[in-house]
Amino acid sequence: MVQYNFKKITVVPNGKDFIDIILSRTQRQTPTVVHKGYAISRLRQFYMRKVKYTQQNFHEKLSTIIDEFPRLDDIHPFYGDLLHVLYNKDHYKLALGQINTARNLIGKIAKDYVKLLKYGDSLYRCKSLKVAALGRMCTVIKRISPSLAYLEQIRQHMARLPSIDPNTRTILICGYPNVGKSSFMNKITRADVDVQPYAFTTKSLFVGHTDYKYLRYQVIDTPGILDRPFEDRNIIEMCSITALAHLRAAVLFFLDISGSCGYSIAQQAALFHSIKSLFMNKPLIIVCNKTDLQPLDGLSEEDTKLVTEMKAEALKTVMGQGGEPTNEEGVLLTMSTLTEDGVIAVKNAACERLLDQRVELKMKSKKINDCLNRFHVAIPKPRDQKERPPCIPQAVLEAKAKQAAEKEKKKTEKDLENENGGAGVYSASLRKNYILANDEWKEDIMPEILDGHNVYDFVDPDILLRLEELEQEEGLRQAEEGDEDFEMDGIDLTPEEQKALAEIRKKKSLLIQQHRIKKSTAESRPIIPRKFDKDREFTTERMGRQLSQLGLDPSLAVDRARSKSRGRKRERSLDRRDSDGEAMDMDIDQPSKKLRLRSRSQSRSKSRPPSEVVPGEGFKDSKQKVKAIKLGKKSVRKRNKDARRGEADRVIPTLKPKHLFSGKRSIGKTQRR
Amino acid sequence: MATRLMFENSCEVGVFSKLTNAYCLVAIGGSENFYSAFEAELADAIPVVKTSIAGTRIIGRLCAGNKNGLLVPHTTTDQELQQLRNSLPDQVVVQRIEERLSALGNCVACNDHVALTHTDLDKETEEIIADVLGVEVFRQTIAGNILVGSYCAFSNRGGLVHPHTSIEDLDELSTLLQVPLVAGTVNRGSDVIAAGMTVNDWTAFCGSDTTATELSVIESVFKLREAQPSAIVDEMRKSLIDTYV
Repeated sequence: MVQYNFKKITVVPNGKDFIDIILSRTQRQTPTVVHKGYAISRLRQFYMRKVKYTQQNFHEKLSTIIDEFPRLDDIHPFYGDLLHVLYNKDHYKLALGQINTARNLIGKIAKDYVKLLKYGDSLYRCKSLKVAALGRMCTVIKRISPSLAYLEQIRQHMARLPSIDPNTRTILICGYPNVGKSSFMNKITRADVDVQPYAFTTKSLFVGHTDYKYLRYQVIDTPGILDRPFEDRNIIEMCSITALAHLRAAVLFFLDISGSCGYSIAQQAALFHSIKSLFMNKPLIIVCNKTDLQPLDGLSEEDTKLVTEMKAEALKTVMGQGGEPTNEEGVLLTMSTLTEDGVIAVKNAACERLLDQRVELKMKSKKINDCLNRFHVAIPKPRDQKERPPCIPQAVLEAKAKQAAEKEKKKTEKDLENENGGAGVYSASLRKNYILANDEWKEDIMPEILDGHNVYDFVDPDILLRLEELEQEEGLRQAEEGDEDFEMDGIDLTPEEQKALAEIRKKKSLLIQQHRIKKSTAESRPIIPRKFDKDREFTTERMGRQLSQLGLDPSLAVDRARSKSRGRKRERSLDRRDSDGEAMDMDIDQPSKKLRLRSRSQSRSKSRPPSEVVPGEGFKDSKQKVKAIKLGKKSVRKRNKDARRGEADRVIPTLKPKHLFSGKRSIGKTQRR
Repeated sequence: MATRLMFENSCEVGVFSKLTNAYCLVAIGGSENFYSAFEAELADAIPVVKTSIAGTRIIGRLCAGNKNGLLVPHTTTDQELQQLRNSLPDQVVVQRIEERLSALGNCVACNDHVALTHTDLDKETEEIIADVLGVEVFRQTIAGNILVGSYCAFSNRGGLVHPHTSIEDLDELSTLLQVPLVAGTVNRGSDVIAAGMTVNDWTAFCGSDTTATELSVIESVFKLREAQPSAIVDEMRKSLIDTYV
């Protein structure tokens, strides 16, 4: 919102700090190690880089100073003049000019020394050149250190200037010292300006804000002005003059009619006449203050005459602006900041007249045409006989009527929340305010609906009973099976045959077991790295043999080694491990795929089966496509089985490309050469 | 009376609430602050209902309604519909409609007698709006914007529309709606009026960025607190000119 903010100017270091900052940065951010034996071009490069880097940093730092300080010709004339009054334009420009010269000088030094460095023929010479270059740059900075110190002081002062917006609605308070300007400011804004019973309590401009008719007004309290020639005025007074001259504002000229400020009405009138040229084209109000000490009617004749003269002058400025010349009220007002008599009237008059003037100006501008629609209230023309009444419940009207009488505070959800542990802890019931025939129904349990089905419909109430039945049945069956171990296809066998069959089965299971063991050990990876076990000597069997030779039971160790052996990738996966742990215990058969699909959200789109023919693929029908897919899979099956390299495998053609690993490396060439 | 408030650090209160003369819907938030602001103002007169629509909190933009009925989009779940049905008075009809433009709040602006709708709304939807809400339906645009529900807010007593609406459009719309209209902004210059505020015949809720000038325009045009729309052209005119130009 505020265009002029001088609070963000970077700190200006003094000369010594400046040099330290730059040189330490050069030291930190450029290479520091160099050897005599390096190629001369490399040595030159090394020192040239240092010189250039230092120059760059100086350039950057000095440029920020030059750019960030406001240029007095470019900013609003109010600020331009204020800065001139406070810091002296010439001095300010000179300081910035010196910074600019220093920047150019440093640039030139760097250029010269880089040129000389090109002819340096040894490390020593190059180094000497670098030292000389840096030394000369530092000397330049040392020479401008007074300017730097001055700029730093100005920066600190500017950061404390009030943020005055020169273009907004502004009310300006001026007058002799000690006439009650700051007291008035404190009455209408919350600025809290220091008020003391001596002259020049206010030494600079102060800003406060006040509201009138939905708008915000900026109120500026100025230091007192004495009636003396322009050249003799001091800096404090000049601040006021600058504000009066450049701000488009409503001006309140304060007049102490009691004379308790130490200046007579005649003196104050003289001041008014000497600075009246500054009031041109501004709404001007003459405020007679301290009426508690001396009412306006009780003034002596000559004083009254002086006041009426001033009023006439004030009216002229009004006419100069082309405003209403007949409107006399609101030009001369009386008030007392002590008793607060008329304070608000003065504020309102000032705001109103300023607003009138601004509106008049804006009505003439072109921009008003874009906004005309916003000041228009469209009133409906009747289009039929239908009545369209507003609908306000009786309760609201009653409450409005009651509001005047008393207003009892209702306990809101927020109060409940605060009582019950605050936000995030308290969880309000959504059913509390249901409108139902019977209040008891509110907390009824609602059916839970999933995919359009009531979940409860799928609940079996006597499932436990049925489970028990099933288990019993299973137990019976198992008992039966234990008896009839050797019954095959309902044919009774003779005892010998049974014995033979048992033998066969035992042998068969043994074979299967052995095969499995063999397979699993063959697949597992050895724990001892292959390079120490070239001949595959360190087997689990050998460990077992050795342990038993030592008289120890090898079974535990062998089991452990087996369990530690790495399975195939699929066996290692997490869900696999889970599944043979717990999931296998449950003998609930997985519902068919179709059922499982149904239980998920139906809104998810189904992906296309691979066999579906998509136009453009070139297949006649899905049968042909299935065949093609099958053929394609078959063609790679052998290769995949042999784990041979296929065209889809990742390939790095050259692991060490020559162009990246040969030749000398200069600065910044690690990636590409 | 107009109230300034915020929904979880967002000033777009019209997005998270729907206010009519017979009920008020409020989004379910992390704390009860937003709900209680409505509750304190309205709970004596009309039900204030916490609900979500289609699992979202942007209920003000998804549903449209007045004292006669409430239209919710087809994305509304059964549970939400049940919650609404249980919480609203019986004379309010709750209807779920199959409409491609499912953000009904953005496409339909209505009071108890008239509705403005998006130009591309289905014929069927238009009929449902007329039947359920008991209103005359007009397909309209506001300052060239087809989202009529977002760019205007009106009650039975007045209305606020997009700031770029021309004077002729204002007069035409005002005759259609049979309420006084003003072009204006909410939330410090935001032109999405219905997102920044929600209003019925006796109260309004605005985002907390709304300036004093905007708030007084709102109070005048909606005739809250004995203010009259004519105030905008009389005593407020100067302040308005100084702020806008």
